Amino acid sequence: MTTSYELDVNGVTYPVTADQGKNLLSVIRENVGLTGTKEGCDDCECGACMVLLDGQPLNSCSYLAVQAQGRQVTTIEGVMDGPEMHALQRNLLEAGGVQCGFCTPGMIMSAKALLERDARPELDAARIGLSGNLCRCTGYAKILSAVEATAVELNT
Amino acid sequence: MAIAEVPRFVRADGPDKVTGSGRYAADINLTGQLVAKFRYAGVSHARITKLDTSAASAMPGVFAVLTAADVPDVIYSPVVPDRRLFAKDVVRFEGELVAAVAAVDAATAQAAVDAIVVEYEDLPIVDDLEAAMADGSPLVHQDWESYAVTGDTVQRPNVASFSSIEKGDVDAAMASADHVVTSRYVADGCHALPIEPRAVVAQWEGEKVTIWTSTQVPFGARAGVCETLQMPASKVRVIVPHLGGGFGGKCGFHFEAHVAALAKAARRAVKLVFSRQEEMVAPDRRREGMIVDITSGVKADGTLVARSGWIAIDNGAYTADAAFFPQLAAMHVAGPYAMEAVKIEASLVYTNHQPSGSVRAPTAPQACWALESHTDELAAMVGMDPVEFRRANIVDEGVEGAAGQIYGEIGLRRCLDAAVDASAYSDDLPDDEAVGVAISWWPSFPGPSGAYIKIDSDGSGMIITGAQECGTGSVMTLRMLAAKELGMEPEDFQLVYQDTSAAPYDTGATGSQTLLNNGRAVVEGAREVAAQLRDLAADRLEAAPDDIELASGKAHVSGSPDKAVSIVELAGVAAEGEMLIGKGSGTPPEYPSVSAMCVGDQGLAGWAGPQFACHAVHVRLDRETGVVRVLDVSAAHDSGTIINPVAAHGQVEGGIMMGVGQALTEGTQYGDDAKQRNTGLLEYKLQTAADAPTIHTEFIEIPDPNAGPYGAKGLAEAPNVPTAAAIANGVAKLVGMSVRQLPMTAERVWMTSEGMSS
Repeated sequence: MTTSYELDVNGVTYPVTADQGKNLLSVIRENVGLTGTKEGCDDCECGACMVLLDGQPLNSCSYLAVQAQGRQVTTIEGVMDGPEMHALQRNLLEAGGVQCGFCTPGMIMSAKALLERDARPELDAARIGLSGNLCRCTGYAKILSAVEATAVELNT
Repeated sequence: MAIAEVPRFVRADGPDKVTGSGRYAADINLTGQLVAKFRYAGVSHARITKLDTSAASAMPGVFAVLTAADVPDVIYSPVVPDRRLFAKDVVRFEGELVAAVAAVDAATAQAAVDAIVVEYEDLPIVDDLEAAMADGSPLVHQDWESYAVTGDTVQRPNVASFSSIEKGDVDAAMASADHVVTSRYVADGCHALPIEPRAVVAQWEGEKVTIWTSTQVPFGARAGVCETLQMPASKVRVIVPHLGGGFGGKCGFHFEAHVAALAKAARRAVKLVFSRQEEMVAPDRRREGMIVDITSGVKADGTLVARSGWIAIDNGAYTADAAFFPQLAAMHVAGPYAMEAVKIEASLVYTNHQPSGSVRAPTAPQACWALESHTDELAAMVGMDPVEFRRANIVDEGVEGAAGQIYGEIGLRRCLDAAVDASAYSDDLPDDEAVGVAISWWPSFPGPSGAYIKIDSDGSGMIITGAQECGTGSVMTLRMLAAKELGMEPEDFQLVYQDTSAAPYDTGATGSQTLLNNGRAVVEGAREVAAQLRDLAADRLEAAPDDIELASGKAHVSGSPDKAVSIVELAGVAAEGEMLIGKGSGTPPEYPSVSAMCVGDQGLAGWAGPQFACHAVHVRLDRETGVVRVLDVSAAHDSGTIINPVAAHGQVEGGIMMGVGQALTEGTQYGDDAKQRNTGLLEYKLQTAADAPTIHTEFIEIPDPNAGPYGAKGLAEAPNVPTAAAIANGVAKLVGMSVRQLPMTAERVWMTSEGMSS
């Protein structure tokens, strides 16, 4: 059944008319029109669809969009600080932590949430904090380096 | 000796990828586009007795329903053509396409797919490699003898391609050995598993079709469309937006023709996006299961004298690009060792499984795992340290390899030393920890490749290349090569790529070949432009062109840096007349000849630009559960000159992690019905950041004169080869014997340690 509601994505309120069973990922990609959030498995296993819901990381493939009403959704398009890249984005590039880039938006959302709850995570905490995001390209080493570099940069 | 003076290299496609603005195939949407869905066989081997699409076609919102009857009857695939776009009469694996639908939305398309009536008469399932090769086995392809195979391909019933490598008298040499050791190793198949499931969008304008697709090989995809839909290349344009990884899984030609045919029939743009389950079941690219029997003869002093081998490779139902797998697997079971005599036979066996195809270093990780596990057994037999045993038997400069190739300067010995020295191999470790060591090799693949280079009136450069970026950074690195030739910065060049109607041919992101081949093309094209710049500068500076040097964005007279003109200024002059345009295709390196006798030769016994590696892997075993954890990996690689260190380290780290997965958790499980049982990421386990070991990488840089630019060899596949083998040797030290099945799951490790066959 189709329903109409409003959704706050990256600080902008979007009117949405969609099937009430439509997941948040599909609404973000198709109704809101932001395609940076990716679908890799539709199974909560790969993390490519990770967004923040009121600051908490969430696999948007497995969450009903209607449930996000009245809450703040942040996608990869909402991470930049105006025209400037977030330190995580810049450090991922400089460390070589981006290859094919398909996991990257979800990885950045998880890393951002991690650093917001733990400003200087130990290596094992960072590993666990990113363990919901699969990357086939990098072996994770350069991604973990970028998170470490960002933690240092944001806290000095 | 990286060629770049810049300490880091930020990719040109990087900002798109970290900000979410980068478009992948699934992000492309066209006005009026329909959704494509496929009807799969759902059974592994059956004759189609009824196929009725009338109800599906009649559904409102359904614009096209296609079956084999609606497309040209073309049997395709390179070397062993054995399949059609849609099943005709017989289905041979669960993911085979029976029909395709285009409809207004996903729900309507799925309802139409479900409304297609297909009835089957079961045929006997062929899923055991040895039984399939036995006399009287049911055949996967009744008509196999009618297939128009090419080259020296040798076939037998249920064997799509057979190869053997034979040198010397293996029986006599084996008889001269003091010890003979025989081992059997069995590897499960597994998946390439790029995180991006593939997507294809097709749109016709008149007789021309444009296809946006997530392929690793745009020109290969175009060739597949042309062959199966019987169209000239001039009417087909293939564009790849950003590609979300491939690892071989998106090599070859897959569903571009199906979507193009749907779009033609529907007279609308059509879009296909695969689910993860479809990605796991339908493509004819997954890593092949394999049985390896190896027998080696060694002298009491540890000298390897002879090796015989028998290899059965699971081809699955169709051959895709796998005809060369037997010869490549045979080379990897011979391995980078010297010996008097060798005889290895390998068969690519038809089964009713998903077809195999090139996944990152096809056949090599499994064959290396078998060989290197066996090598540790040989060392134990003669009472030698495994590393010392390898030092005594590996190939080196001037030494003849198993297939008779004599090597130039190679870095294998230095790789072995470097990886072992950087590891905890010689340390006293706790009882539950050990370091395993494995060596490996892998070819480079010379081939044709082209690029154009131009400099516009404002002095900005452009590289127009047929090369495909699948994430490795190899296309990004082309900018470094052009910049070096032209005295400019990598950032001065934009890339136009992944469009078959814009650029010259390239094989694609396959065989680690981009930098090797397209790198040569870019250097050649840039040198043409450099000559044009020198001529222009010579005119203005009143010097001979040969005395002009290009550096720091300027052309100056050699020895007189002040007598200079900027490239921007020269570009402005050129834009008014004879423009700065270069082209290159380079000259591919030659494949060396070999002395071994090769039956079913696919041209892969002599390797140009052979790469070598050693991994030393520190593992910990939980003896209660059989769970193995990889703590630390020391890797050393000879891939020739390293052009882009940041990207090169990324390739090694990613290859190792893929190898850890293959070693421990990644394996396809089949039911008795020959269908895959673990097609979701819940059941098919990839390694996560929490599992990531620390990785130390060293490059042994020996420029290879018969390879790519500045002596670079390939790189992207080689790091995936020895990891599983090194882990296996560490685990074997802790368990007391080899785990003879791959992946070495906790259950298999535990059962082996308990003396039970797993």
